[in-house]
Amino acid sequence: MEQIIANGLYLGAQYALIALGLTLIFSLMNVLNFAHGQMYVLGGFVTYTIVAQFGLPFIVGLFASAIVLAVVGALIEKFLFAPVIRKSKREESTMLLAAGIAFFLDAVILLVFGEKQRGVPKIVNGVLNWDFRIIMPYDRILIGVLAIAMIAGFILFMQYTKAGRAMRALAQDRMAAELMGVDVKRYSMIGFALGAMLAGLVGGLLVTITGINLGMGGPTSIKAFMMIMIGGAGVISGAIAGGFILGMMESIGLTVLAAYGDITYLVIFASLMVFLAIRPQGLMGKPWG
Amino acid sequence: MSPILQVKGVTKRFGGLTANNDISFDVAEGEILSVIGPNGAGKSTLFKLIASFLKTTSGEVLFRGQRISNLAPHKVARMGVVRTFQETTIFRSMTVRENIIVAHHLRSKASLLGFFLGTSQARADEAEFGASADDIIDFLGMSAIRDELASNLPQGHLRALGMAIGLATNPTVLLLDEPFAGMNHDETMRMVSLVRRLRDERGVTVLLVEHDMPAVMKISDRIVVINFGEKIAEGTPAEIQSNEKVIEAYLGSEDAAIGM
Amino acid sequence: MKAKLLGLGAFLITVFVIVPWLIAISGRWDFYYTLTSVALLSIASAGVWLTFYIGRINIGQGAYALAGGYVSAILITKAGFSFWATLPLAGLFCAGLSVLIGLPILRLRGVYFAMVTLVLTEVGRLSALALPVTNGAKGITSIPLPGEVSVFGLTLIPDFATLENPKLAFYLVAVLLMVICYAALYRIVNSRLGHLCRSLQQNEELSASIGVNTAYLRVLAYSISSFFGGIAGAMFVAISQSIYPSSFQVADSVNFMLNCFLGGLGYVFGPMLGTLMLYFGWDLLFTTGRFQLLIYSSLLILLMLFLPNGVLSLFERKGVRK
Repeated sequence: MEQIIANGLYLGAQYALIALGLTLIFSLMNVLNFAHGQMYVLGGFVTYTIVAQFGLPFIVGLFASAIVLAVVGALIEKFLFAPVIRKSKREESTMLLAAGIAFFLDAVILLVFGEKQRGVPKIVNGVLNWDFRIIMPYDRILIGVLAIAMIAGFILFMQYTKAGRAMRALAQDRMAAELMGVDVKRYSMIGFALGAMLAGLVGGLLVTITGINLGMGGPTSIKAFMMIMIGGAGVISGAIAGGFILGMMESIGLTVLAAYGDITYLVIFASLMVFLAIRPQGLMGKPWG
Repeated sequence: MSPILQVKGVTKRFGGLTANNDISFDVAEGEILSVIGPNGAGKSTLFKLIASFLKTTSGEVLFRGQRISNLAPHKVARMGVVRTFQETTIFRSMTVRENIIVAHHLRSKASLLGFFLGTSQARADEAEFGASADDIIDFLGMSAIRDELASNLPQGHLRALGMAIGLATNPTVLLLDEPFAGMNHDETMRMVSLVRRLRDERGVTVLLVEHDMPAVMKISDRIVVINFGEKIAEGTPAEIQSNEKVIEAYLGSEDAAIGM
Repeated sequence: MKAKLLGLGAFLITVFVIVPWLIAISGRWDFYYTLTSVALLSIASAGVWLTFYIGRINIGQGAYALAGGYVSAILITKAGFSFWATLPLAGLFCAGLSVLIGLPILRLRGVYFAMVTLVLTEVGRLSALALPVTNGAKGITSIPLPGEVSVFGLTLIPDFATLENPKLAFYLVAVLLMVICYAALYRIVNSRLGHLCRSLQQNEELSASIGVNTAYLRVLAYSISSFFGGIAGAMFVAISQSIYPSSFQVADSVNFMLNCFLGGLGYVFGPMLGTLMLYFGWDLLFTTGRFQLLIYSSLLILLMLFLPNGVLSLFERKGVRK
């Protein structure tokens, strides 16, 4: 039991961090970022390159992932999403653009980093063994704690800084925020960069444990979509809740349903459909149309 | 005459907020009845409750003695109680004529499969809808814009189109949501005579929600006044104009309007 | 009307006579496989297009293609059905499945619906991996070719295994299927059903207020869409004689959507055109080797950047309205 909760928390923390980035981008620009998983993969490869190729400390790799992804995110917003949103009549256009960017990032990752699974050496050795009730390697604990710290940092940032407040205003009502003098263009870009950065950070964190490969992008995006559907799209608390709920469900599923084969995600999806039938806006989302 | 529509003790709460509290009134067949009230009095909510676009918390709405509240909206429409929309909702990328033809849905006798296969019933229906749509277009004086794309129409025409869509369903009771909103005096007067003709020539019972006071006074047989979600008065325009509660509710910015 | 009939005639002659003739004289038999794929993919895309037509962004068609493929494969290998019987059954199975799935999820709109359907594709793959009947990652292989169909001893369709040129036979069947599906789609769109779908796309509330049973209509359109996905999947299985959980994945679902968009959402034959363009474009880029995906995605991005409302929006500017 304790083991399941511990695993769930560990998974939930990283999931929540991924979902936060996705939901931030969604709330600011009403864009569903299909390329989120690819950004996560890119972040993993950057950390891998810094740590395993250049032999620099892990923390440098993590910073590099954050910076590279923030820059990539900002560029994508400024030169791709912003013009398309301005010109397009239907929301499909941004979705297809996002799909195109996902393919593009996949192609870039393939050319630059190749198809092989990559990983970096463990950053901390040893395993916590609490009376055989919780067994967890120290590096997982460290990554989990780091992820939770980052979530806390993100919340504080959104709550107490000028940029954070501006973005929250923007998410609530674009028009009103503009009238209040928020520089919509600037904060859309910052928001997108921040969202991409979060994805990159998780990639950097997890490359130390699960490693990274090209194929992880799509499934990661899909998990992130599920999380924000559970929590309610565009709501920060919803993303965090969705992340931890999915992590917990996965942890429970892997233990309880193991006997029936690999059906955890099937069960999760079926429950998600029932849940959405009752509450289409998710746990914390605003009711809509 | 027995009432065609009965609103019986209808209450709607949103969380802790009571939008409508125990509202009751009857609508007689062939009458034009207006529901008025200051902004935020709960008119629109009441309207949605009657057309069953919202579920009542308690109370019920009867149409010819049959309960229509809490049915699916399309079922209410099928029984003959049809609403038009406040925000001039139309099918934007269809022409005026297409809008009206689609709105004939309720009258089709052929099934969807019949339409797919092009049975004789389906073809007869299509022909009938086309003729009827042209009829409505002439009735509303919209011939000049028959093939205009709805998204290109100015405000006044949109309102007329909204009404045409309502008419196309062949309603027994037509619910008009603020038909005069945003109109100037001339447009309002034209709309007033149109609504009258709906009733006089087509026998449609009209229930409308509005806050343009002069127009309401001119058009209505009877008026129901609500304020803070409660019915505070009911009567002929003359009675309403001299009702103290009503004047009190409208005191302030709108008292000039009620005195005309 | 006359122009339309002429166009149809020209199209039929092209696909049934001219294309086989050109292939015969050029000896490029491999084109049959390409064109058969295009025909089948465009059937699946036609389904996606129909969901677009009711105002829903459907990125879940891969799941139905996969389900249709498995239904056909399982019925043939485990229950000894003839392929020809499994073809409609696969479609019907998918239609039924989509009613169950559609009832809750069709209440969602816009991005929300898109997200759920995308997840659905992934769930399709996971189900195929997990369920005992689908044989996991190993898939189902060595599926026999379509057999003979005869009525009173009269052979209507010969056994494909005895044919000298099964590629041509598959091409003809696939194209015939495509013609039937698009004829049905054309009929739907141009009958009252299509008008009602359009009313749904533009304003669901108003649709309900004129008496349209919006929930029923949405599910109906979605199940027709899934039916198309199912038969396309089943037909694919017959050609490749195998199916794996990865036969239709998220990328396929996204491509179906791209096909529709590229060809134009306002045109019934848009998805067919889009499929042809995308498939051949992708094939042409094959010569660029490892840069294939890079170039393809860059083109896609540029396309969205300069024509965010689809290729056919070029015509709209000249005042051509559907």
